Amino acid sequence: MTETLYAAPSPPEVSIVDAGGARYPLDASRVRAVVEQACRDVDGVDPAAVLDACWPCLYDGMSAAELDEALVMSARTLIETEPGYSRVTARLLLDTLRGEALSYLAAAVAGGSTAERPGASHRPDQEQMRERYPGYFTAFVHRAVELGQLDPAMARFDLARVGAALVPDRDLSFEFLGLRTLYDRYLLHDGGIRYELPQAFFMRVAMGLALREDDPDRRAVEFYELLSTFRFMASTPTLFNAGTTRPQLSSCFLTTVDDSLDAIFRSYRNNALLAKYSGGLGNDWTPVRGLGAHIAGTNGKSQGVVPFLKIANDTAIAVNQGGKRKGAACAYLETWHIDIEEFLELRKNTGDERRRTHDMNTANWVPDEFLRRVVTDGEWTLFSPDEVPDLHELYGHAFAERYRAYEHAARRGEIRVHRTVRAVDLWRRMLTMLFETGHPWITFKDPCNLRSPQRHAGVVHSSNLCTEITLNTSAEEVAVCNLGSVNLAAHLSGARIDDRLLESTVRTAVRMLDNVIDINFYTVDEARAANLRHRPIGLGVMGYAETLFAIGAPVDSEQAVEFADRSMELVSYHAIDASSRLAAERGRYESYEGSLWSEGILPIDSLRLLAGSREDGECDVDTSTTLAWQALRERVRQRGMRNSTVLAVAPTATIANICGVSPSVEPVFRNLYVKSNMSGEFTVINPCLVEDLKRHGLWDEEIAAELKRQDGSLATIDRVPEQLKRLYATAFEIDSRWLVEAASRRQKWIDQAQSLNLYIDTPSGRALDELYRHAWRKGLKTTYYLRTRAATRVEKSTLDRADGALNAVPATVTYSCGTGDEDCEACQ
Amino acid sequence: MTPSASDATTTDTTDTYPAGAIGLGTIDRGAARVTVDDKSMINARADVNQLLPLKYHWAWEKYLAGCANHWMPTEVGMHADLALWKSEDGLTGDERLMLQRNLGFFATAESLVANNLVLAVYRHITNPECRQYLLRQAFEEAVHTHAFQYICESLGLDEGELFNMYREVPSIADKDAWALRYTQHLQDSSFATGTVARDQEFLRDLIAFYVVVEGMWFYTGFAQVLSLGRRNKMVGIAEQYQYILRDESVHLNFGIDCVNQIKRENPQLWGSAFQREVREMLAEGCELEIAYARDTMPRGMLGLNAELCEQYMRFITNRRCVQLGLDLVFDDVGNPFPWMSEAVDLAKEKNFFETRVTDYRSGTGLDWN
Repeated sequence: MTETLYAAPSPPEVSIVDAGGARYPLDASRVRAVVEQACRDVDGVDPAAVLDACWPCLYDGMSAAELDEALVMSARTLIETEPGYSRVTARLLLDTLRGEALSYLAAAVAGGSTAERPGASHRPDQEQMRERYPGYFTAFVHRAVELGQLDPAMARFDLARVGAALVPDRDLSFEFLGLRTLYDRYLLHDGGIRYELPQAFFMRVAMGLALREDDPDRRAVEFYELLSTFRFMASTPTLFNAGTTRPQLSSCFLTTVDDSLDAIFRSYRNNALLAKYSGGLGNDWTPVRGLGAHIAGTNGKSQGVVPFLKIANDTAIAVNQGGKRKGAACAYLETWHIDIEEFLELRKNTGDERRRTHDMNTANWVPDEFLRRVVTDGEWTLFSPDEVPDLHELYGHAFAERYRAYEHAARRGEIRVHRTVRAVDLWRRMLTMLFETGHPWITFKDPCNLRSPQRHAGVVHSSNLCTEITLNTSAEEVAVCNLGSVNLAAHLSGARIDDRLLESTVRTAVRMLDNVIDINFYTVDEARAANLRHRPIGLGVMGYAETLFAIGAPVDSEQAVEFADRSMELVSYHAIDASSRLAAERGRYESYEGSLWSEGILPIDSLRLLAGSREDGECDVDTSTTLAWQALRERVRQRGMRNSTVLAVAPTATIANICGVSPSVEPVFRNLYVKSNMSGEFTVINPCLVEDLKRHGLWDEEIAAELKRQDGSLATIDRVPEQLKRLYATAFEIDSRWLVEAASRRQKWIDQAQSLNLYIDTPSGRALDELYRHAWRKGLKTTYYLRTRAATRVEKSTLDRADGALNAVPATVTYSCGTGDEDCEACQ
Repeated sequence: MTPSASDATTTDTTDTYPAGAIGLGTIDRGAARVTVDDKSMINARADVNQLLPLKYHWAWEKYLAGCANHWMPTEVGMHADLALWKSEDGLTGDERLMLQRNLGFFATAESLVANNLVLAVYRHITNPECRQYLLRQAFEEAVHTHAFQYICESLGLDEGELFNMYREVPSIADKDAWALRYTQHLQDSSFATGTVARDQEFLRDLIAFYVVVEGMWFYTGFAQVLSLGRRNKMVGIAEQYQYILRDESVHLNFGIDCVNQIKRENPQLWGSAFQREVREMLAEGCELEIAYARDTMPRGMLGLNAELCEQYMRFITNRRCVQLGLDLVFDDVGNPFPWMSEAVDLAKEKNFFETRVTDYRSGTGLDWN
């Protein structure tokens, strides 16, 4: 019970058991050496802190692998006190990974068992790796081909040449979350033993995307440079599967489900096949008839679309992407569908479980006419699609007219299944459910269609799993999109974007994405057909929050809104230019003629198509430009386009982690928080903030504890200057209208859409109502999650003292026995 | 042995409640209306059936928080846990033993807490807003018991073994027997507050359950399971525990607020001798937990062993002392589980691709005007 009981820990006397069952005493000096090496050249970290945390975690008879794990566990706990420990932890994990990979390959080359004890010679340090990387790389490729994991064509590269291009020290540039993510799910393994090191991984992906290039070796090195410097990152399916014998590289698939049992069950099959190799799904369910609709074959009545959605939900669970990610699908329904009210409730955690889809996402496909009725407090009529079959195919004025005609028909009694509700009531239910369950998301049908470059080739019936893809679908065509994102933070030059570097990145990135289309392994014929005809790609951005920190623009400032505009203008300009150059080199995409591109209508020009379809006060978008768009318009008209779409801002949830930057165009969630994903939970602390606080001489233990107490918000910490509080305001502290403003300016330049999360701090129906009406007026095509806070937090268990945040009644009381007698015994 | 309406109305000894204080009395048609000043935590003369006007806003806030935090165990997928549990080298033998005993403790402990709440505490708290929270809490205890049923069924555990551990595993039985004594004192239908000795008896029960059982023992239980969770093992159970912990945080702090409010209204109850006694209770609870830690973790496992749990329990015991305004029981001890920060302290952002986003809350209170 005295402090000596818990004195500074020392190495315990324990034995370690290796994979072969042999016991040997803990080699404390090696452990120390590994930790010291991991801490080298990292500011603000102390090897002793890691070791002190490590010793008590050990136990007698633990395995060698557990010893590695103990080091990682010990270092990662310190991240909240100093961001530098993130890099330290990554290096400790790298040490494990090197041991795993090189021991494996050594054993494989020797033809021995993989269970060979990992000796020092198979666990080189960074110094030794600089020598060994190229040789390792050749052995890696051969082994992977031998295992049937990599395409044999990969071995036909000039491995010495590409191996020499690897930069071993880039292995040190990972944050812990990034390397852990690669380690757990991306690196190639044989029976759970990883034999792919990070630089080999980037080169494997680069080679996989260069397979059909004229000079594959040179292109592979060009692609590798982009990936390994984190300037651009391909999407997860590409990272998983490039260069492998099953190169399914696409991220997103969009399908429409026809109104027949045959089509419905075929859609389950397609969903399963598409999800198997890491694709995410957006399914348009609007054509399926609603509750009470007539079924001619049996003269019975339909149960509507909900029971079918339940099956789609269960299919997504069953297909879990080979254990790498959860199968993921999003069901879309247009707002006039007779089952819309039940659709809104699919994610509620109460009610009939048979009519709930806990694992599937849902989204509203909202026509402008509905918002118009909300604004004017009008009525809204629900129909079953079998009786109004053309409504789903129409948008803009044509939709509005046809919809009104059907309303008249319903009033005349010519339509069997219909119901009229107050538009505002339905809108509020949509927003309430969004608030309560995060679903269904709200996406706007008309801007997606009116501004689609492929209007001549069909109709956009839904968006996708993450609401950034807006492509046509039909019974014959499953839309496919290949994604990748430019890391804006890696293109900073002081407080501005290096335009030259960005141009070069974007040009190569567009080439990589275009290559995906031809290399891709398609699991569904309708996807191949659509992709080869239209060749859509979606280049997005990430690391946006860091760029705002660098230029010192708080999210809620005109400066930030302007920056959103100009940065996306640059990306868009270069991306369109790059696709057009590719058209000159490789030819135009097949369905180019008749597209908006072919008419010289670029995304910035299609804004007027939207404005033309909206009535007064319904469209409020900025149209300013700063680059030489007329010249580009001309070039596009001359050379055509290689891709029907080029831009889409994806959430980049995982690839941003790999690059160690903030995802997509998101503001910081909190300055200190935990990211929770399939690999577990990870403390994330905003390194830009810590650096700024250090510069102000404010970073110390006390402020670190205060940041934790305040859930990562600076707002109530007195000593922090106002200017820093505003710059580092967290997502919940920023009025989401600023996010909408910035998104509106970005959407000008984007031919598809963006995954835009919105945040709401204090629950208010009115605020939600205004926010989403605002998003519509601002010309957004889609919105994504609405994030709210949990009602209460838990007691903070690791602060020095109970924080008392959950207690309302003071603990102190002056004892009085009530007798007024000072000598009363009970009072003593 | 549930006290019935007739028990309450027919007893007329001076030291038992007027039936109205319990809420079962004959309706007093001519009585004056209740004002805030009439209300009190215990021994109230005011009608306990009138929620408004509110006196203890903190109790009402906690009731709302509990409702907004609603969750159901079946929302959490158990596929990964099942796969790990069934795989031969997924968990070490020591990890399995620890987990089973941990589940064994909680599976019945939640029921004991619920019983105490419904059969003892509810009767003696004479304030409607606090009772409102108690009703919510009672339901949450049912949800927690449901969680252990769900875990048991999902993993195909031996239900007989699990639900009998509180009788068959001595270190669990010792804990439960200790706590149960306090309920037993109170559930006697002739027991009523109203004297210093009896009011203190009631305080002891509140402290035994809210502070020791929910506020101390549950916390080592959480730490054990979350230590697996942080290594990405048994993540479904870990997620359920995180939900339970969120609820329990409110339970514990409601209990602390109750005790502190009763103290303020009845300072004569909180003499130095009684304070000593409460500290003794906390120390006993701590010792029982340490014995349980040794029993559940005879050998160590990665990052967790009986010694660390012992230090953790002392750390937690001291925190509870601070919350109750008591002198610390132990010399200052540090927290041996700084990683609990990642597991519970920090706000979470989930990647919906990979886990379910759970921060949502009930939208029934949205104001549209």
